[in-house]
Parts: sequence; structure tokens; C-alpha cells
Amino acid sequence: MFTSPSQGFMDFFTETFQISQSTPPSDLYRSVYSEIEEVGWKHLVSFERDPSSVNFSVIDENERKHILEIRLPQNYPESSPSIAADVPYICEFKWSMNSRLKDIVQQFQQLLQKLQKFWSTMDSIDKNLLVIYPKQPTLACSYRQIYLGNDCCLLLFIDAQNPTSLPGCRFLGLNTTTEIIRKKWQRNGRKWSNERSFIENLSLLLETNIPGCTTTFQKEEWEIECGICYAGQLPLGDDSQANNGEYPDYTCDNPCCQRAFHTVCLRDWLRSITTTKKSFDVLFGSCPYCSDPVAVKINAS
Amino acid sequence: MTSSSAPSRKALSKIACNRLQKELVEWQVSPPAGFKHKITDNLQRWIIEFVGASGTLYAEETYQLQVDFPEHYPMEAPQVVFIPPAPLHPHIYSNGHICLDILYDSWSPAMTVSSICISILSMLSSSTEKQRPADNDRYIKNCRNGRSPKETRWWFHDDKV
Repeated sequence: MFTSPSQGFMDFFTETFQISQSTPPSDLYRSVYSEIEEVGWKHLVSFERDPSSVNFSVIDENERKHILEIRLPQNYPESSPSIAADVPYICEFKWSMNSRLKDIVQQFQQLLQKLQKFWSTMDSIDKNLLVIYPKQPTLACSYRQIYLGNDCCLLLFIDAQNPTSLPGCRFLGLNTTTEIIRKKWQRNGRKWSNERSFIENLSLLLETNIPGCTTTFQKEEWEIECGICYAGQLPLGDDSQANNGEYPDYTCDNPCCQRAFHTVCLRDWLRSITTTKKSFDVLFGSCPYCSDPVAVKINAS
Repeated sequence: MTSSSAPSRKALSKIACNRLQKELVEWQVSPPAGFKHKITDNLQRWIIEFVGASGTLYAEETYQLQVDFPEHYPMEAPQVVFIPPAPLHPHIYSNGHICLDILYDSWSPAMTVSSICISILSMLSSSTEKQRPADNDRYIKNCRNGRSPKETRWWFHDDKV
């Protein structure tokens, strides 16, 4: 099959071959196969031999699909396998000499059941509030940055074990505005009640209706960010300025970079450094990310 | 000027404020390993604590960085200094000023507080001897009036450390 294998490759090949010779005997695999069968072959996503790991797909009661990765140690089943999955936390698994893979899957299903309340809380945040970050949260992700209006954001850290309790939070924004909101939050902290929904609690503590995803600015506007100011829409101080609210309108030509910028930001940056060259009304400089040439008109608007 | 190392403190522009908020969120979600942002309500001055990397001359030593942002960040670099006692390093002066090109001439808005921190840590980690720059005393004398390191004309003569 390999017409002219290099010496290095042959060394590598023999080495791997020897390793796989010394890895657990096929007896072990036979028993693992039978354990997979107990879980059900239809749940098996993949089975790797070296290092050994078995991936199962598990559907929870709300039809969310989870991949459970079970890594088998060399001396399986004497030592317990380790597991990995896209969940906010993994509880301790019980394992004994007589345990089998199906016991792990079962314990994982119990964990999923416990986590339903957490995911429904996260879903309610994603559905009802304007989530700025993360844009595509994983199931394990237990924080959200939401927009409160007036250039103010709230970073919420939800306790996955107790999702309806008062979340940890950080206010981000201009000091004066955040100070007012922070005080409200502290004053109303005791009003948080597990009887109310998460969103209701949040509006109660902040004494305001929180902008939802139906607000005038759509989520897409946050999608492409300028590589300099990090904003989707240009946040200039003076609302009367012509460029306010503009989207990134310049993209680096380098196909490996393709960073987006507001022409205004890029122009301001090029103006602020001494290496920029000017010819007629065009500024020539380099992309802050990849250093490829960029050019913008001085009177860009 | 009375304040020690603070630059003339003009409030952050709206663009700077917006960008810093995003950097702070990113930091809180995935901070550079070994670094801790001390929580204050001041977006314009960050105090960052870190521990020297293990296996280096600065292992297990804790240092604090003070990062001050100019009104027009990120068009301008932030001012980054060590809060004394500063680590003994051939590019770090005893008043906390750091001779590192990305903080001055080589700054670009593509960099972040986080990337600066990583550069400073790697500068410390690659050091082979704990000593002050040769011109430390002269430099400190020149800075006595509370001059910002950004007003210094730096010579980046050595990129080995």
C-alpha cells in the first residue's frame, strides 16, 4: 500500500504497532462490546480503540441531544472510566468492579434530568432577553451577557445546581448609569423569589422592563463587529454625527484575514500612526490584524 | 501635576467605553491563565494581579499591573505599569515602567489587555537573570515629576528578553 515509505514513517508505524500490541487484549474489547450492546447499538456514536473511548448519544426528556464520551482506562474495568459531556457540571459517578457502561449512561441520564430546570432557565433568557454574548451558547455555558438599554449590559452567572436562585451578576456600562442600576439591584435583592419566573424576578429587581429580542435593534446587528471598536453599530458620542449607527463597511482584502472595520475607525487608526502614507485624499497603511495593505479615503462617510 | 503616574484623566469616549466593556466580558469569561482582574467599578483603570509562571525565575511571585486607558482607546495604547514593587527584570524599571514595544510604538488596536498580559508574562518567563536595567537610576531621576512611561522615547534595543 505504501510504495516508498520513509524510514521515519516506518519507525512510527512499527512503534504504533507495538503499542497496540501491548494495549488491552481483545478479551477486554469483547466485554466492552457486550456492555455497549446493553446500552444499545443505536445509541453508539463512535468507539475509539487507542486511547479507548466510547461515545453515546443520549436524548433527554426535552429532546435535547447529548453526546456522552466515556474514556476507558488501560486497566478497565478495575479503575473507573472518566466521562466528558457538554454539561455545566458533572457529578461524581459511582463505580465498582461490577459496574458496567450502562450504569454510567443511567447516572448520566439522572444528571440530565436534574439539569432540565437549568436549561429551561437558560432557554427563557435566550428567548425573552437580548443576549449579546455568547452568540451560540453551548449547553454547558452558564452565563449570559444581556443588554439593558442605555449602553448598559448585565452579565449573569446562573448557578447550574440551583438555577432559579439569585444569579451572580456584573454590570457593565458607563459608571453613572450602572451605579443607578446596581443600587436598585442591591435594594431589591431580597425580593428575588423562587416562586416567580427568572425573567419576572429580573424585571422586579431592576425595576424595569428589560429589552427583549423584539426591541428595535435586531440580534443580527451585533453579528459583525468592527475589529477596532468591537461594536456592530458605530457608537459615537454625539447622536447627531453622520456616522452614528453605521455598520462595519470595510473588509480586509486578505482572504485569510477578512476582518471587518468601520471605515471611520480604520481611518482614525491610520491617522494616529506615523507609518501611514497619504496620497491625494487616500490613506495607505496596513491592517491592524494581518498587516496587509489597506487604503481608506480621508473623507470617508 | 500631583497625581503620581496617572495620565491626564479624560473620561473614556463612547467608543472606548463600549470596547472596554466587551474586553472585560471576554476577560471574565476566559481570563489569560494566571491573571486576575481585581473587581472595581472603574472601567478606565484596571488592576490586574498575576503570579509568575512556574519553572521561571519569577515562579510563585505575585505582581500587580495597573492599566489606565486613554480617552481614545484603542487608537492609543493603554498605559501599563507595575505597581511597585516591580519584578527585577532587565526591562522593568524600579518605578514600575516597562520597556516593551507593544505598549508604545508597536501598539495596534488588534491587541487587547489580555494579549498585553500574555506578552508581559512571556517577557518575564524568558528572563535569565534578575536585575534592573543598566540605566535604572538615571531613568527614575528623569521620571521624578510623575512622567508617564508613554512620554518616554524608548529604545527597544533587545528583543531577546
